[in-house]
Amino acid sequence: MNKVSVIGAGNVGATAVYYIAEKNIADIVMVDVVPGMPQGKAADFMHAAPSRNYNIKIVGSNDYAEIADSDVIVMTAGMARKPGMDRMDLLKTNVNIAKQAAQAIATYAPNALVIAVSNPLDVISMVTLKESGFALKRVVGMAGILDSTRFRYFIAERLNVLPQDVMAMVLGGHGDTMVPLPRYTSVAGFPLTELLDSDTIEQLVDRTRKGGAEIVSYLKKGSAYYAPAASVAKMVEAMIKDEKRFVAASAYLRGEYGHRDIFLGVPVLLGRNGVEKIYELDLTEQEQNALDGSAEAVQEGVKTLESIYTPG
Amino acid sequence: MANIAIIGVGNVGANTAFFIAEKNIGSVVMYDIQDGLAQGKALDMMEAAPIRGYQHSISGINSMDDVADTSVAVVAAGTVREPGAKRDDLFTRNAEIIDGIAESMKGYGGTVVIATEPVDLMVMRFREKSGLDASRVVGLGGVLDSTRFRYALSRELGITTENITATVVGRHSDQMMPLVDYSRVNGVPVSTLMDDVHLAKVIDETRNAGDLIVEMSQRSSSFYGPSAAAADVVQAIVWDTKRILPVSFVWDGQYGIKDVAMSLPTVLGFTGIERVLEPNLSQDQVQVLKKSADELSSIYANA
Repeated sequence: MNKVSVIGAGNVGATAVYYIAEKNIADIVMVDVVPGMPQGKAADFMHAAPSRNYNIKIVGSNDYAEIADSDVIVMTAGMARKPGMDRMDLLKTNVNIAKQAAQAIATYAPNALVIAVSNPLDVISMVTLKESGFALKRVVGMAGILDSTRFRYFIAERLNVLPQDVMAMVLGGHGDTMVPLPRYTSVAGFPLTELLDSDTIEQLVDRTRKGGAEIVSYLKKGSAYYAPAASVAKMVEAMIKDEKRFVAASAYLRGEYGHRDIFLGVPVLLGRNGVEKIYELDLTEQEQNALDGSAEAVQEGVKTLESIYTPG
Repeated sequence: MANIAIIGVGNVGANTAFFIAEKNIGSVVMYDIQDGLAQGKALDMMEAAPIRGYQHSISGINSMDDVADTSVAVVAAGTVREPGAKRDDLFTRNAEIIDGIAESMKGYGGTVVIATEPVDLMVMRFREKSGLDASRVVGLGGVLDSTRFRYALSRELGITTENITATVVGRHSDQMMPLVDYSRVNGVPVSTLMDDVHLAKVIDETRNAGDLIVEMSQRSSSFYGPSAAAADVVQAIVWDTKRILPVSFVWDGQYGIKDVAMSLPTVLGFTGIERVLEPNLSQDQVQVLKKSADELSSIYANA
């Protein structure tokens, strides 16, 4: 049986565990610093096993040693965004958490693939890569798939069609500067631009950019976790089952799209070896400028990161 | 009470029931002219239910009267072709069977899904003989051709099929029209990921997929693909999902063509075809459609 470890048993982590369990994808370990919390949630899940037909085991622990020999590790530990708080505000707190986790991953699960989820995502991915010392393709950030699933839903809702029939590509950093690409978005194969006028598309793009904030504004004391966890589970499944899934994810670039030494949302092929390929789509000048702007915002975060800690 | 009827439980009919059961789409009644066949296959499937977790019933019925209460009926009755034979060769033989079913379904309140070949002609015939609205009689043409196109694209690209949408319109024959501009990988046009040579190969394979299976298996034509396509259409209708699938239906002026059934993308829901989507086609492509339409009209008129 494959093994997936989820670090951080908060809402995103626990809901990801739920989706992974419902599809019997792998045995699961939940790790969290709060004493008893991951153990309690894991036991609660296992009590549901007889009714939900789980064939997998779920255990909770406060000890990183429990992640030993995991095939995939999902890193969700960190503080959630509060209303009015920018993703960058989270940086300092979450960098330290990510640093510890990455070191533990390198020690206990040296062959794992890592999916970074904590925000600011593109920066946390970089910390994870540096601290783990893993090969570039084994660390990937969950962003584009979430931004796309929101964009897909908004389009489906507007057109009154099934959300699964809508496919979309959202590139760039996971923040207000993300780059939804209507040109690479389709409804049952139809280009989006044939079905909606440009004003409507622009509204939906804008709503997508603020998709995370929209949920925060409703919940007041928390942020989204169903859609983020669903996106995580999709990526985990693609890796465990070697699906060769084409999705947007935050990957380490070495010159693709004119950027290097940065994690940025681009189309990738996900399989058993992690990021197996990065696809370079033709972009218009306007799209490229938007992506460059997004990269700049991520780069600023990385600079802040360098000022607060030395990799080692 | 059953909401799905399957008429004709040969390979396509029985496997459609099987896929519907596996996905827990709804309860099924099956009818076949051969006494006991539907009952036997239904019982066999229900005996698998405890292991497979079916939540709906499957049963055999002895009379077409019991079809009346269902909301969707799959017509899979008729003979299949032999190696070397074309779909159209079946027209006269299967038309008689379709006529009988259509007569007994006059005034049916649900949607009819035609799987019997040659499907475009059978859709026309069923609609005429049953008097049902064109939005209520759909055929498995483009939806099956598209799934084959998706598979071939997926294999060539090394990307999971789930990521791939493909659109095939027109006649369900070697004149089918795979639309490269309306086929995408997670939103990205396939033409940006695959060169023309590979695309041509994939299109050719899609066009000949049905024939290839007949040639390979000699004694039967394909049925897994068609059954999966039928189950997909059934699901979209009974669950009212508004899924977009290319199905065959009698056209009413699309691209200037009337009274002939071919496939176009449609939004499917509880009332059958709820909307037709018309791709932008080149003049050459419209000419191919017109040629197909003329041929279909003439075969239909001469039968």
